[in-house]
Amino acid sequence: MRKKRFLDFFYDYVQPLISNKKSLAGSIILLFFVLMATIGPMIVPLNMNSDFANRYQRPSLQHPFGTDYFGVDIFQQIVHGSRSVISLTLFASLFAVIIGTVVGVARGYLEGIGGKLLDAIITVFLVIPSFPALLILAAIFADTKLNTVEVALIVAIWLWAPLAKQIAAQVLTVKSREFVEASRMLNMGLGYILFSDIAKLLIPYIFVNFVTQLKSAMEFSIGLMFLGLAKFDPTHWGVMLNYALYQAGALYTPKGFHYPFFVILNIVLLIYGGILLAQGIEEVFNPKLRGHE
Amino acid sequence: MKYVVDRLVYLIIVLLIAISGVFVLVNKMPGDPAYGLAVSIAQQRNMEMERALEIAHKLMGIDPHEPLIVRYGRFISNLLKGNFGYSSFYQTSVNEIIAKALPWTLFVISLATLVSFLVGIYLGSFAAQKRGTIIDLVISGIASIIQAIPPFVLAVLILFIFAVRLRVIPLGGAYPVDMEPSFSLSFILKIIHHALGPMFATAIPQMAAWALAMRGNTSQIMEEDYIRFAQARGLKDSVIANKYIKNNAMLPLIASLAISIGYMLGGHTLVESIFNYPGIGFYFGKAIAVRDFGLLTGLFSLIVIGVIVATFIAEIVYALIDPRVKLK
Repeated sequence: MRKKRFLDFFYDYVQPLISNKKSLAGSIILLFFVLMATIGPMIVPLNMNSDFANRYQRPSLQHPFGTDYFGVDIFQQIVHGSRSVISLTLFASLFAVIIGTVVGVARGYLEGIGGKLLDAIITVFLVIPSFPALLILAAIFADTKLNTVEVALIVAIWLWAPLAKQIAAQVLTVKSREFVEASRMLNMGLGYILFSDIAKLLIPYIFVNFVTQLKSAMEFSIGLMFLGLAKFDPTHWGVMLNYALYQAGALYTPKGFHYPFFVILNIVLLIYGGILLAQGIEEVFNPKLRGHE
Repeated sequence: MKYVVDRLVYLIIVLLIAISGVFVLVNKMPGDPAYGLAVSIAQQRNMEMERALEIAHKLMGIDPHEPLIVRYGRFISNLLKGNFGYSSFYQTSVNEIIAKALPWTLFVISLATLVSFLVGIYLGSFAAQKRGTIIDLVISGIASIIQAIPPFVLAVLILFIFAVRLRVIPLGGAYPVDMEPSFSLSFILKIIHHALGPMFATAIPQMAAWALAMRGNTSQIMEEDYIRFAQARGLKDSVIANKYIKNNAMLPLIASLAISIGYMLGGHTLVESIFNYPGIGFYFGKAIAVRDFGLLTGLFSLIVIGVIVATFIAEIVYALIDPRVKLK
């Protein structure tokens, strides 16, 4: 029984993703960064001691990405920073998807005042421009040291609303179908109907949104770190980018060009992997786009 | 008409909730807004910090013991009168700052959005019609890569390459400091020259987004039955492409055009801060950095009002151009 379930999952979700070129390429890129974050730090040691004799070294065999203003190896920092970049992104997207799904399903199901109220709350979070609001929220916590989960929550608060709106719309169309009516007739209880009947139909949908969410979560968290509004891991790529551009004046030092360059390269490549995966998934699950790559 | 009034009332309620939320949020920010002023008073007059804080509070018209609800009431009633508050950092009314900054922001974002919309739509529908060819691959490939660059990273790259290295665009400001604003041609050229950096930083990511959205919509519509039927009727390809596909694919995008101009008011924060371009976003970034609560709430209210107005316009426009939505 369990084996059959696993096979079903494989044929429903994994196989179409491997057969689509975009999602395959995106998965490979993301897998590469996940490996960098999980086993990378075990292979590459991190030495943050400053070594002024070796600062702004160009990329070489000893320092694949060169060294920074303090003579610290940039490659080591990128590898160790990938851990916080990826965990932060995953947590933020996960929280956003959870909040979005719960609020969306509830809005779709509830009628009357409760539904109207939830609708207004979703709209408020839709119309508040997320980035400026995120900056204000982050500034409140600027002096406290936050852990990954807390920063991820701060980011997720500004990401869930579009998903909630879409899910609410889906639930509204689904809930009048016969099998939900049937469950209600059988007195199956609100919880069962919400999370068993309706949620099952929404899983592919949530999956697609989770992947699209990754891009915004990455952009937001890196932007937050880049502005120095959250005290966090000094090897987080956003923090590195901030150092690379402002702290050490690398922007105006011709020798230091490789410093921001390699940080930006990794950020863009990681987000690009997420975009490819999202585009691939969209093609796979949206039949109208299928087969036209 | 009832539909319009209903939406308007709904959006005003949303606006009120959003502004109130932000007001509470900003007032929860750590630090005394008068602290900066108090420090300078204490240094200038060589007095104790406590006394200086008191003076600073009086100068700025802040009562630190005043309950939040009273402050909130004053904030809302001021807002209704069109008064966005007082900036403690610049020591002037927020309205004055808005009057100074808003034209620059509107100038940059409206021009950048319009150009990127037109070019993006064209590229997107072109790519969709050449679907599967090398042209499509190049257009959508480049657009996806641009999407992967966070806008503030792109802004930094533009600043770095064109202002620092090549020195073809200025490092900051809206016009040269040594020039008096006038309507002369040389001054207008200088304004455009200074706006180039922020404009490209705004337009390029948007262009990619429009192109991808248009390509997606077009591909989807090309599979619709009515397109097949039009082909079966023997209509010319060019008629189908323009009248049937392009118009329908553009419909939802025109509505989002209005919304995106609203959002750009706030989303422009980082770009303007990076280019030191004195628009709304620049002052917003400054307000966060120096903890200027008055300026922060004032500008944020302006941004939210902008988005709500844009959303409202978008809904009306959509209802007007889409025959399926009826204004009742």
